Amino acid sequence: MADQQTEYVTLVSSDGFEFKVLRSAACLAGAIKRMLDPTSNFAEAVSNRCVFENINGVVLEKVCEYLYYNEKHKESKDVPDMDIPPELCLELLMAADYLDV
Amino acid sequence: MLAGRGGRKIRPPRRGLHGDEIDFENTWGIIASAFREIHTKNASKLSYEELYRHAYRIVLKKKGEDLYRRVRNFEHDWLSNEVRGTIHALLTPGLLANSQSIGGTTANERRFAGERFMKGLKQAWQDHQVCMSMLADVLMYMDRVYCADHRRPSIYSAAMVLFRDDILRSDPSDHSDMDVLSILNHVILEQIRMERDGDVIDKHLIKDCIYMLEGLYDSEIEAEEQRLYVTSFEEDFLASSREFYMAESELMLRESDAGAYCRHARRRIFEEQDRCRSTLSETTTLKIEKVVEDELIKNRIHELIEMESGVRYMIDNDLLEELSLIYELNARVDNKKAELTRAIQKRVVEMGTDVNSAAIVASQAAQPLSEGPDKGKAPVEKNLNQQTIAAIKWVEDVLQLKDKFDKIWKVSFDSDQPLQTALTRSFADFINASSFPRSSEYISLFIDENMKKGIKGKTENEIDLVLEKAIILLRYVQDKDLFERYYKKHLCRRLLMNKSISNDVEKQMISRMKIELGNNFTMKLEAMFKDMTISEELTAGYKTHIAQLGDPDPKRIELAINVLTSMTWPLETMGSSGDNEEGKMLKCVFPSAIERIKKGFEKFYGEKHSGRTLTWLAAMGSADIKAVFPKVPQKDGTLKERRHELNVSTYGMVILLLFNDLPADEFITFEEIQARTNIPESDLVRNLQSLAVASKTRILIKDPMSKDIKPSDRFSFNEGFQGKFHRIKVGVVTSGNKVESDRERKETERKNDGSRGFCIEAAIVRIMKQRKELSHQQLVAETLNQLAPQFKPEVNMIKKRIESLIEREYLERIENAPIDSYRYLA
Repeated sequence: MADQQTEYVTLVSSDGFEFKVLRSAACLAGAIKRMLDPTSNFAEAVSNRCVFENINGVVLEKVCEYLYYNEKHKESKDVPDMDIPPELCLELLMAADYLDV
Repeated sequence: MLAGRGGRKIRPPRRGLHGDEIDFENTWGIIASAFREIHTKNASKLSYEELYRHAYRIVLKKKGEDLYRRVRNFEHDWLSNEVRGTIHALLTPGLLANSQSIGGTTANERRFAGERFMKGLKQAWQDHQVCMSMLADVLMYMDRVYCADHRRPSIYSAAMVLFRDDILRSDPSDHSDMDVLSILNHVILEQIRMERDGDVIDKHLIKDCIYMLEGLYDSEIEAEEQRLYVTSFEEDFLASSREFYMAESELMLRESDAGAYCRHARRRIFEEQDRCRSTLSETTTLKIEKVVEDELIKNRIHELIEMESGVRYMIDNDLLEELSLIYELNARVDNKKAELTRAIQKRVVEMGTDVNSAAIVASQAAQPLSEGPDKGKAPVEKNLNQQTIAAIKWVEDVLQLKDKFDKIWKVSFDSDQPLQTALTRSFADFINASSFPRSSEYISLFIDENMKKGIKGKTENEIDLVLEKAIILLRYVQDKDLFERYYKKHLCRRLLMNKSISNDVEKQMISRMKIELGNNFTMKLEAMFKDMTISEELTAGYKTHIAQLGDPDPKRIELAINVLTSMTWPLETMGSSGDNEEGKMLKCVFPSAIERIKKGFEKFYGEKHSGRTLTWLAAMGSADIKAVFPKVPQKDGTLKERRHELNVSTYGMVILLLFNDLPADEFITFEEIQARTNIPESDLVRNLQSLAVASKTRILIKDPMSKDIKPSDRFSFNEGFQGKFHRIKVGVVTSGNKVESDRERKETERKNDGSRGFCIEAAIVRIMKQRKELSHQQLVAETLNQLAPQFKPEVNMIKKRIESLIEREYLERIENAPIDSYRYLA
């Protein structure tokens, strides 16, 4: 499993939730992309598993939702707005900044 | 407002994301040790997320500045302590030695040392690149937030700069003032030099090093022209190449011939192009090409062309391939190909002058023989023949030369237009060279010869070819009027003496000239043909006229006549070469029988065209005489009367008729003949020569027997004449078209100058009539311009003509004009 470029990667939140995400979708985030870059060969790239110590499950879920949302509407116009609960706003923004989405 | 609407509060961000107050030193410690791991290629044990999070936190805590500085210091230390040592270790003494002085180590050793060095450097560079990209990944947040905000170069490029300073610019040893970079340059150059000398080198290795140089910049600004490759290597490369090729070209010029040189130069250019593609950078291609071209071609082309085996040798030996090489090379460095053009032109003129002087020598070889006036007829004949042969040979040589250069031009010079113009100019130059005034005459003679003999038994195509050749040459001739004069003269002879083989071909020729030179030129020539046709009709008409008269004269003499319009026919040149300069044509006294016929025809002609005067040109005609020789003993002892039909010139006939009434044993002196016939002396001498001296046609006996005719000689009828054939043609010396003697030429030129005078005057008047007022310079220029298709007048002549026109009040000088000007007087 080590050197393989799997189709899905696992994103793990600080409180232990795991999300299996399409690699291409996940790589939208700059940080994840670099994390998984096989040439630099970090631990994450080897295991295809990324643990985020500072993002909790709720936020990470929303992040994953966005990643797929983006993947789905990548090429279309007039995209419907994504529903974001206001109470998550700030945390999401910080996560986005952190992940470089 | 969100809160108010939803009734829910925005949750404050959880502290976890922020991270608590962190200990910078601690965190940096973690990061630094991780970096060390990365540098030793143990990254797979590290969690990117963890490192990234640490860096993120540091930046978030506004410690970006510190982090940035620390990373840089870390890299600086790493490069200085770990990498530099390895690189310096690779600088073997041999490698260093050769950077100062060559010696001690063999080329091979040096090559290996160089390769090892480059390999090490390349390895270090690649490692550095990989590590730094990983570091940059980890520090992405710092790049994104801190560097962007503070206008710092990204950590990656900062690290590249470090590599440049700490490795490439490091001083490897105490005793050398070269840094690693210049050693690298030196090594690469040396490797390239080895390749130029035929060794095989590791192109990929060099290419990798070049990539490194291309990836680094001389200063902080990352501009194209600031790349290390451009600032440090390329210059050295070009300079060393220049040196190399300068030396090589010198050596090559000394040691090999021009053809080999060209081939070599071309190969070098391709090699350099190839090298730029495979080993160096494409951006250098043009520059190095320029260097090679400069050194191998531009600076040497002159020597190259002038070499013993240069263009001249190539032309002489038809080395088309080499010539095309030279052409290609010259075209590379010079759009106009000036050097090559110059050399070719020079050669054309040289060869043309050779042809010219060969013709002059050939025509003069026999000259001394004829100088003595007492040498008789044979040498003169031979001399004239030789001159004619020289003339024809000249034409053929010129054509050959033309063919040769045409072929070279087509095959080797890519049908280059400017070169063709240059060739044409050179041909015109030597054909019209002032040292060789005979070209017009020779070309006309060439046509004449072909019309009389050359085209016999040739197909139409071949004839076409001959005519085409003549036209080609004609194009080069400047003094077309002179040519016209000669052509008229030669054509006249051909027509009157029926020497021409085919009238069709004659007409073809004229129509070609018409196309080439215009209507004016051929008008008179065409008129000559018309005269001939009219004359035929006239002769026929006269014949029927005589028949109708019904005067059956047993001694009737048939008459065929050509009536020639005096303006169109060059009759003066047909005469006895300017003997009768006193201006009066000596009228030949015809014998009564002939005189009667002459009168008859004059009457007949007068009836048809009143007001026209006929001048009889006895010198031009010929006559058939039936002669009966008395019985003389034959070889078998029998006596036999012999009848011969003699074809003689009109003068010859007149002379022979004198002897008709003379008893066989009496004689007439030369002076007496002259007195009774009034034939011009030179014609008489020639005719008597052919009648009394030439062995085959000795119808008269001369006393004393000698080859020359003297006024005191006496002539009597040769009763014992024996001829093999019934019909005997008595040739007269001038019957053929020969090259003119010098005296004749002067005459022709004088006459030509005369007619040119009229042309010039006409042109001047035409111009002035149109312009009314004109400055002297302009007038001369326009006159030259207008007359260019006919001939090139001398400026002096134009001046004289202007003077003469002023005298005759066609023009006047404008008084007080700032420059010499004239006004037209209507």
